[in-house]
Amino acid sequence: MTNADDLRMIRESAAGIAPRTSDLKRIRALRFTEPGFDRTVWREMCEMGWLGLLVPEDQGGSGLGVQAFCALTEELGAALIPEPLIAAAMAARLLPSDMLPDVMAGDRIVLPAWQEKPLSLDLADGGTMFAGGRVTGKKVFVPMAAGADAFLVTVPGGLALVERGAAGVHLECQTTQDGGNSGTLTLDNAHAVWIDGDASAALETACMATSAYLLGVMDRVFGITMEYLKTREQFGRKIGSFQALQHRSADLKIQVSLARATVNAAAKTQDESGDSALRKAAVSRAKARASDAASIVTRGCIQLHGGIGYTDAADPGLFLRKMMVLAPAYGSAAVHRARFRDLAPVGDED
Amino acid sequence: MDDLSDEAFRLVVRAWVVANYPPEIRNPLKRLHWNECKSWYFKLAEKGWLCPGWPVEYGGMGLSPGKQLIMLDEFERHGCARTIDQGVLMVGPLLIAHGTDEQRAFFLPKVLSGEHIWCQGYSEPNAGSDLASLRTLAERDGDDYVINGQKIWTSMAMDANWIYVLARTDRQAKKQEGIGFFLVPMDTPGITVRPLMTLDLNEEFAETFFDNVRVPASALVGQPNRGWSMAKALLGFERIFVGSPKQSAYALARLRDLAERMGISEDGSFLKVFNRHRLDVEDLTDLYGVYVEQVQRGEIPGPDVSMLKVFQTELYQRIGETMLDVAGEHGGMLEPMEGNRALNPAGLFLQSRPSTIYSGTNEIQRNILSKNVLELPG
Ligand SMILES: Cc1cc2nc3c(=O)[nH]c(=O)nc-3n(C[C@H](O)[C@H](O)[C@H](O)COP(=O)(O)OP(=O)(O)OC[C@H]3O[C@@H](n4cnc5c(N)ncnc54)[C@H](O)[C@@H]3O)c2cc1C
Repeated sequence: MTNADDLRMIRESAAGIAPRTSDLKRIRALRFTEPGFDRTVWREMCEMGWLGLLVPEDQGGSGLGVQAFCALTEELGAALIPEPLIAAAMAARLLPSDMLPDVMAGDRIVLPAWQEKPLSLDLADGGTMFAGGRVTGKKVFVPMAAGADAFLVTVPGGLALVERGAAGVHLECQTTQDGGNSGTLTLDNAHAVWIDGDASAALETACMATSAYLLGVMDRVFGITMEYLKTREQFGRKIGSFQALQHRSADLKIQVSLARATVNAAAKTQDESGDSALRKAAVSRAKARASDAASIVTRGCIQLHGGIGYTDAADPGLFLRKMMVLAPAYGSAAVHRARFRDLAPVGDED
Repeated sequence: MDDLSDEAFRLVVRAWVVANYPPEIRNPLKRLHWNECKSWYFKLAEKGWLCPGWPVEYGGMGLSPGKQLIMLDEFERHGCARTIDQGVLMVGPLLIAHGTDEQRAFFLPKVLSGEHIWCQGYSEPNAGSDLASLRTLAERDGDDYVINGQKIWTSMAMDANWIYVLARTDRQAKKQEGIGFFLVPMDTPGITVRPLMTLDLNEEFAETFFDNVRVPASALVGQPNRGWSMAKALLGFERIFVGSPKQSAYALARLRDLAERMGISEDGSFLKVFNRHRLDVEDLTDLYGVYVEQVQRGEIPGPDVSMLKVFQTELYQRIGETMLDVAGEHGGMLEPMEGNRALNPAGLFLQSRPSTIYSGTNEIQRNILSKNVLELPG
């Protein structure tokens, strides 16, 4: 259960680490470094209870819902926070209680390794197999993998926990456009601990949380841009007075509002509906909209800035690069539109 | 070359490019600096292919528009780099149209030989779209002019050894009427270049500072207060260049490579999108041909050339966006896929972004079209 007060409190609590007005200095300094985020900040985030937001209270979490988590990740998006909360939270709720304490304290980072090919939402394609305490296969696009201590690997029928340093575990990280990294995990008969469970629901929540993060991204860069239109002058006038830019801005605002309405409604559906197909269809609609809108808005904001928008020193570019990484993550707009079509075929509405 | 049939000409160009293009700079990931692209510039120069559009008497090929397009198409297909081409594209045509015999004799051969590498000093921090409000001053002092001020977004300023500059020669005159057009060597004392990093993480443009830069009066092209009309003519040439199908055709070829790599090149839904882009590129090529013919006849492009610039740049961006759709998660990576420079969706997407900003933003182009071509009120 989450009420409006809880959501407001969560947003306010985010302001310490993810202030809406930050100058993004910390974010810039962490770009293109390894692991691309700050473990001290990670511990603070864990102390705030963020990692455990979705973990049941009897396991040391706060047992809140998807709406609460999305309220938080929207704030993280607005501040471009690189710490891998969405991924780590996906893993945390799948770990058994006895493995949780040091994870929840922020001392140990476990990230999910679920994906086996691009543009896919399949958790276990059969490309990674567990047998006799060993796991073999390959997982791709593990976000911020350079900072993980262990990986929770999805395999047919369950989960397998592998330590990053174990024999047969090979991690290769690629730098991402936002200055973070993405891991390819190759497992060759690696020692693994079997964990009962199914990551499907956790994946849905990660899709939702990423949609909300993208909402924060587009909302903040849009705000920055509206400020710019009110200050920059050309032809002796504020550029915001040109009708061409006013119309462009209005169009971007429509996208932000659509994304906000869709993400909020979908998050509510997650907390309130027991109908799995309905819930998934809502997730897909939210992620499709958030990915598309984030792309439209970040691109539009670069254009509205003119030349300075194409510099690395100006902030809009940071938001565009984040979009480039997160719009395709956890299913691109096209992937989610296709899934929506399958879940909600035309003619099935009534 | 003009006697060959189009098909024969295409094969000649293709064979030469394959045999002569420096392989290490095929499908470059970023806009190349002079030390990286000069090998290609010199190859073209040596072959006499550097300036296909210039008249033969000035060292060009005097090539027909149709054949120029074939040449461009072959270069893009092969993944040839853009050189530092302001001299070829802008200074040359300007001097051919407006220059004196002495200026032509001095400057054109040095563009052809690669001795002069040009950059454009128009924009200032507070004079971008409103270029005519520029504040860099050129004050007459005896036989000299002394230039003070700041330019910004000067592409390849760190590679160039000459810059063409707009500076105010009369502070009292109406803003378009007191501007002079100067040709200045970059090693003149008082010029400082501070590189700026682009969104594509390349030091591709710069701030260029002028601190008591003394140049002889002969550095001025034409009349002291008549620089604006020349600058505008040059912008016409620039818009033809930016409106050429070059970027879109290159992007389309790379989109095809990417689709093949992702295993969707035969998918119906992909082919629909691809085909639409392809027809757009073909139609753009026809429209471009109309303007190339105009230039060939010695005419200065009019304001309608903005159509070409708007359509090309937005098509280029659409193809860039399709690339991200096709690449999925790979489109968020900093490096090209599998180290293959032909598979660089993120880079291509990023590089397409400023095309609607440089050489006059597309908002400004649409203003020009609605005002000067359509003559709408207001
Ligand atoms: C990659 C790159 C390379 C460049 N290379 C060079 C170079 O070599 N030499 C050089 O001199 N310059 C160069 N430029 C500068 C370029 O010409 C300017 O960026 C451009 O003219 C816009 O000016 P601005 O950046 O000041 O933006 P602004 O003029 O401040 O524009 C900001 C926004 O306001 C809009 N706007 C402004 N006026 C109006 C209006 N009247 N109606 C509607 N909308 C309006 C613009 O379209 C834009 O969206 C380059 C720019 C880029 C991005």
